[in-house]
Amino acid sequence: MTDLNDKAREDFFSEAQEIIEELARNLLSLDETLRQGKSDPSLINDAFRAVHTLKGLSSLFGAATMTTLAHRLEDILDDLRLGRMALDANVLDVLFRSVEVFNRVLAVEKGSIDESLGFVDELLALIQQVGSTSIPPVSPGTDYDLDPGMLAVLTEYEEHRLHANLKEGLRLFRLRIRFDLATIDKSLELIKERAKTLGEIITYLPTGEASGPDTIDLDLLMACSCDQDKIESVLGNDNTVVQEVPRRAAGHEAAKPPIDLPKSRDNLVPAALGTVPPRPPAGAPLAGSGGTLRSVSQSVRVDIRKLDNLMNIVGELAIVRGAIGRLSDRLRGTGERRASNELNRLNRSFERRLSELQESILEVRMVPLGQVFDRLARVVRQIGREVSKDIRLVITGSETEIDKLIVEELSDPLMHMIRNAIDHGIESAEERSAVGKPASGTIALNAFQKGNHVVLEVEDDGRGIDEAAIVRKAVQLGKLGEPQLGELSRTEILSLIFLPGLSTCEEAGELSGRGVGMDIVKTNIAKLGGVIDVLSEPGIGTKMTVTLPITLAIVSALLVCVGDETMAIPLASVSEAIAFDGGMVRNIDGREVMTLRGQTLPVCRLDDFFDIPREVAAPRRQFAVVAALGSRKIGLVVDRMIGQQDIVIKALGPSLSSARSFAGATELGDQRVGLVLDAPAILEEVLAGADPLNPMLRVSHG
Amino acid sequence: MGELVHVGAHRASLREGSERGLVREYLVIVLGDDLYGVELTEIREILGPPPLTRVPRAPRNVLGVCSVRGQLVTVVDLRARLRVAPPSQARRPRILLTDRDKETLGFLVDEVQHVVRLAEPEVEPAETALGGEVSEGISGIGRPQGQMIILLALSNISVG
Repeated sequence: MTDLNDKAREDFFSEAQEIIEELARNLLSLDETLRQGKSDPSLINDAFRAVHTLKGLSSLFGAATMTTLAHRLEDILDDLRLGRMALDANVLDVLFRSVEVFNRVLAVEKGSIDESLGFVDELLALIQQVGSTSIPPVSPGTDYDLDPGMLAVLTEYEEHRLHANLKEGLRLFRLRIRFDLATIDKSLELIKERAKTLGEIITYLPTGEASGPDTIDLDLLMACSCDQDKIESVLGNDNTVVQEVPRRAAGHEAAKPPIDLPKSRDNLVPAALGTVPPRPPAGAPLAGSGGTLRSVSQSVRVDIRKLDNLMNIVGELAIVRGAIGRLSDRLRGTGERRASNELNRLNRSFERRLSELQESILEVRMVPLGQVFDRLARVVRQIGREVSKDIRLVITGSETEIDKLIVEELSDPLMHMIRNAIDHGIESAEERSAVGKPASGTIALNAFQKGNHVVLEVEDDGRGIDEAAIVRKAVQLGKLGEPQLGELSRTEILSLIFLPGLSTCEEAGELSGRGVGMDIVKTNIAKLGGVIDVLSEPGIGTKMTVTLPITLAIVSALLVCVGDETMAIPLASVSEAIAFDGGMVRNIDGREVMTLRGQTLPVCRLDDFFDIPREVAAPRRQFAVVAALGSRKIGLVVDRMIGQQDIVIKALGPSLSSARSFAGATELGDQRVGLVLDAPAILEEVLAGADPLNPMLRVSHG
Repeated sequence: MGELVHVGAHRASLREGSERGLVREYLVIVLGDDLYGVELTEIREILGPPPLTRVPRAPRNVLGVCSVRGQLVTVVDLRARLRVAPPSQARRPRILLTDRDKETLGFLVDEVQHVVRLAEPEVEPAETALGGEVSEGISGIGRPQGQMIILLALSNISVG
């Protein structure tokens, strides 16, 4: 890849990435239909088209390895769609494998991994192997009274579909439909869509017969199992004539369809135009027309850093707005009422536009979680096959949107959780049937929005976490002293799985039993400002719940005063704020706690916690900001509440990495900087800090 | 933003002196009662001290953070960092901004004086002048016109 400017390369990479993701989705759907014992030719066709496009794209960009790979895959997919090869789990394995390899090749080409492309040969060999199992093509022959003119122009694929459908005993219908030239694209799409519920449209051709000046008649050849009335009721209108293609009487030889058309793959590209009557001018691309780069897209790809930059500018503008507001107040004080009112009005409209701008930029950053889920579905299938466990993945809420940056960081932790579920959670088929569970295990992946948060659940119906084994292991690793054993609550025991080095799998499994695991997951989730909770019932299953903020860029925060310091607490972690006085505090076992509506929560006096110097004693009347993280709560005691404000969080530099209780700092508008509290980190520390022997302490301090 | 001196114009501080050999430009600063020198190329900007926000649990020599045109700056007390005694008279403190890999640091100094140009022969390397184990932050001793200034390499000074 030389002589390419960076922009074009970037475009190539992201386009290739998209195609590969699309291919992966197709394969997953194929896998699904295959398991149900069905087949969906349109899926194979889509996969074929995707690979075909990838081939064209990569050869255009001189990515030779990808071109070769795409070319071989295209051959296989072509054989599949033309029925020259049967689709089975092994072939799918190879296809899934190719998705992984494509991704790796892409990473190598991009320069993000330094690796030789040797691993590609391995896949090529596999493809070779699979490719050699082709079944000979069925000999064409038809005993239907079809218009020879129509048969003559069928492509190899269409011919294959025709035979395949007839072999299944379906009936053939010819639909003559009159289309308005102006709307033919949409109408045709609509009919194809509706026809899908009944059967398959094999081909469509213009009739060539005289029609109105603004209309065109098409003949559609359709195979389905239902009768004429049904078709008419679903597709029929005044412009449609449905006619069954009659079967010829036995023994009557059909007018032999001319099948001596070029059978090479070249005729997929409309090179054969000379012999084939022109297709309808528009409509969805047929099998052969996918060879060009897609260029009619309405979307623009943007580097996320550019959005960050825009967001920063919005942040700066918000500061300007604040300054104007103060100026207008000052003007009022000097008696310039009219000017002040005018300025105030302008400032309010400025504020409105600014928040619209902010929302729009945030919207652009949002992507559906489906992106990650697709990848996970692939992993589930792959691991399931590796460990011979049949696993059903049920996904809900893949349309839930979250910040692009969060999505990128999510896939590894989620993958780990799923690996754990398969490896430790789901039992073997024998074990499952012994306890009366269905042989195939189920993993549910749920996503939904909850206020300013996105909640992700990974739930399996496996054996649950072995609490005794966890405790044993923790003691063995010296993370837990004997005297503490009796004192741990179930939740505390379960949270031990987040300790570094803890893995319950007795023999280190190939997949997840490497001793690194949940602690990394927890750290990564925490980096995104999220928390993870675990719930497990022996014999019933385990559920991991991850709660994440929707976006990282701008957050609404509660500004508070502690001593002379102004600090911000992200609203995402605030559940309420209440008046507080020292009388509410009880001291239990060295911990300060308070009671809120019957629930006990730890109290953290921020002035003591941070050693904030005071010139005067703390006011008698203070406030407790209740921060809720997952199922846990904490009361953060502050002197004064200032109010709510949208803030841009800026990360503290690496030299301040020891200040773990802060998510960053933000500008407060008058040249001053305020620290932003990291409520999850504080909660963690308070819970751990009260008891120095508590193992949680080691979690939060690495 | 207080007093603001852009030193970008002085960036080209490497000059080929015709007879004196390689000449570098140093900003002379005061820490306590002593003169120190920092090569101009290391300094992005000189600021009057802005309001600082203290960061609990930060390393001892970190005074806090401030914002310089939207950018977060970690401010380090250079005198405390180098364990120099406080000045015996009132000075006019300034902050020297310098870019590190992943953050911008501001070094608080007691005073900023002027720029000197030192040719190579006027600089004693730290090893020969002080011998053996010298703090990494000290690059040498400069002697312009009979004065003595301790030359610092800010990029080698760790925060902690």
